[in-house]
Amino acid sequence: MDRRSFLAYNALAALPLSGAGLSPLVGTASAAIGRRIDFKSNLPAPGSFPKKWIAGSQSCMDNTDPPVQVHWYDPHTAILRQNKAYSYEAPFAPLYFGNDRVLLLDEGFVQLRNDWDLRGVVDQCIEEWCSRNGRDPADLELLVAFSHLHADHYAAVNQFADRPKTRYMGLTHDEMVGFWGMTNFPEERVTLDLGGRDILIWGSPGHVVSEFTYYDSYTQILYTGDMFYRGRCYISFWQPWFDSMQRLIDFCDTHSVTHVMGCHVEISNAGEDYAYGMTYQPNEAPVEMTVQQLREAFEYAKTITEPGIYFTGTVFLCNQTRGTTTIDTNPYRYS
Amino acid sequence: MPRSPTYNPAFSGNPQSATARAYPNGNPDLGYNPAGARNTDSALPLHRPQAVVHSYACEGPAPGNLAFRWTYGSNVAARNRDPRVQVVQYNEDTFVLRQNVCVHWEAPFTYLLFGNEGALLIDSGATANADHYPLRKTVDAIITRWGQARGRSKVPLTVALTSGEDVAQNQGVVQFAGRPDTVIVPKPLSAMKDFYGLVEGWPDGTGTIDLGGRRIEVIPTPGTHEDGVSFYDPYCDFLFTGDLLFPGKINVSNDGDFVTSLEQLKAFAAGKPVKWVLGGHIDMMFVPGKYYARFATYKPYERLLEMEPALIDEALRCAREVRGRDMMLIRPDFVLFNGVSPDQRTKVWPEGVPDINAPRPF
Repeated sequence: MDRRSFLAYNALAALPLSGAGLSPLVGTASAAIGRRIDFKSNLPAPGSFPKKWIAGSQSCMDNTDPPVQVHWYDPHTAILRQNKAYSYEAPFAPLYFGNDRVLLLDEGFVQLRNDWDLRGVVDQCIEEWCSRNGRDPADLELLVAFSHLHADHYAAVNQFADRPKTRYMGLTHDEMVGFWGMTNFPEERVTLDLGGRDILIWGSPGHVVSEFTYYDSYTQILYTGDMFYRGRCYISFWQPWFDSMQRLIDFCDTHSVTHVMGCHVEISNAGEDYAYGMTYQPNEAPVEMTVQQLREAFEYAKTITEPGIYFTGTVFLCNQTRGTTTIDTNPYRYS
Repeated sequence: MPRSPTYNPAFSGNPQSATARAYPNGNPDLGYNPAGARNTDSALPLHRPQAVVHSYACEGPAPGNLAFRWTYGSNVAARNRDPRVQVVQYNEDTFVLRQNVCVHWEAPFTYLLFGNEGALLIDSGATANADHYPLRKTVDAIITRWGQARGRSKVPLTVALTSGEDVAQNQGVVQFAGRPDTVIVPKPLSAMKDFYGLVEGWPDGTGTIDLGGRRIEVIPTPGTHEDGVSFYDPYCDFLFTGDLLFPGKINVSNDGDFVTSLEQLKAFAAGKPVKWVLGGHIDMMFVPGKYYARFATYKPYERLLEMEPALIDEALRCAREVRGRDMMLIRPDFVLFNGVSPDQRTKVWPEGVPDINAPRPF
């Protein structure tokens, strides 16, 4: 099967369904597998983010929060977040359910399953969803992908290596674009069909070369990875990043977007920077942003001509500042 | 031809001791009764008619060693199960305590010194919550045990800080509030000067804390903190320098004061024997010039805590170099940050220092 047909591949149709043959929508078969969920009407699907995410603790070794916080945005969308006491990066990871397939975006910053059991949490989410919807987890294919090629977004990929009915993205640029069947990165926009639920995917280089943006047509969440998130957007390559922002804006002009969501939060509600590496962010800003905030940031970015750190009101744009990526100063200075 | 030993401690290290003596099982050539040997307190019975009066006068530094590796956190901080306060006994009257890296990333060192008439706690850790960081409980237990060994039921305690304003060192003080027989050095700079009798002598004079036979000298060393002081212990010949000089990322808060304080330390060290300079933290790795990032909770390749006194000279030279300039300066054993963010990075690598990358903790 080539990658183009993989994107639209109906996993359910290819399953030998207890003698029901290859017509999954016929009454008996669909009864056996539960109702098919309609992901195409009454859009966007209503959902909500938590008022406050679990955001670490003063003493890491006394942290008793779950290793992964699971928040169901709606009955078919879970958003996972790594506990700050397990990794200071504490990335967010959406889990999108379709009728045939499940898409996991990002795999946290701890490799080993006995340190941090992401696989177990994802399996449990899938089981929960299946029991709610009368499905068999064994029928669902899991796609383990990530937003971009940085270790805090793919560290736990290997936990899924032995999982049946699972495909995971390779850790090279070639494998990443190949996974989505792209031949014209970053402009090309492909549509991944999770079984009635379309995910639009295109390239967003700038933070790194190998980065994607994922738009879920059901919740209409625009998932922008690390190229635009509530914190310090480290822009390694300005022009590609600016072009990627332009693509996001163009997309928002033609599509309805409910939330713009990045992978991390590094800012407080008061707009203060939480320095790189902090494991306790008690007054953390929400992860979701509005399209308006994205547009404002883009307008701000148009005025940037020099490398440096700029605050758009929502995010920090760290333009080619690998050497000085922090904002805070020595609090004890005196004269 | 001499027989080649199968085990060469010069190459392999000595599993028996951190002092790297070349004879893991003792050197028979030295004889059984070294010239300086005499009765020591520890040979006396535990239950004595009166308290032991220990003589803190000795030739050279009092013997002792830091024979354990410091706990260094863990990859997943939430799963760390190391002691919250690591206690290492340097000798009978000197203890070094370290806060667990996974309780607070600063993992500060706290020193507990005993004299015939009292004990001194230098610094107090970065966490106030006694459930997370039971410093008071640990110190109480050490003092009780020491008191039993020396036949003393009352051991007055003085709690002093290398800087009253440093939140990485002053948080544990609240645990000692209301403790009987305890004096806490007051916090605002003026009150602290008053306590040490340094109102006139700041920053050129020195104060004293007399522990009974062990007179700890207090040296004003502002520079990284406006109210910074260093302590000198003439028994072990240690200089406790807190945030002023430690194997890590030294954030200079006033470069003029920083240079002056190092000059004063240098002059002080020229007049008194100094075995080691002991700072308040470790940020450096075991490879030269590399350091752990702020907030790191896993530091398996940490440098040693102790610094040779020659490092004061090097620090002074570097302090003069950065004075008046906003820059960071990497040295093998410390890094200076003057007027820049504590997360500043630089591409300038010190000449002649091997550039070795420590393994990544993954």
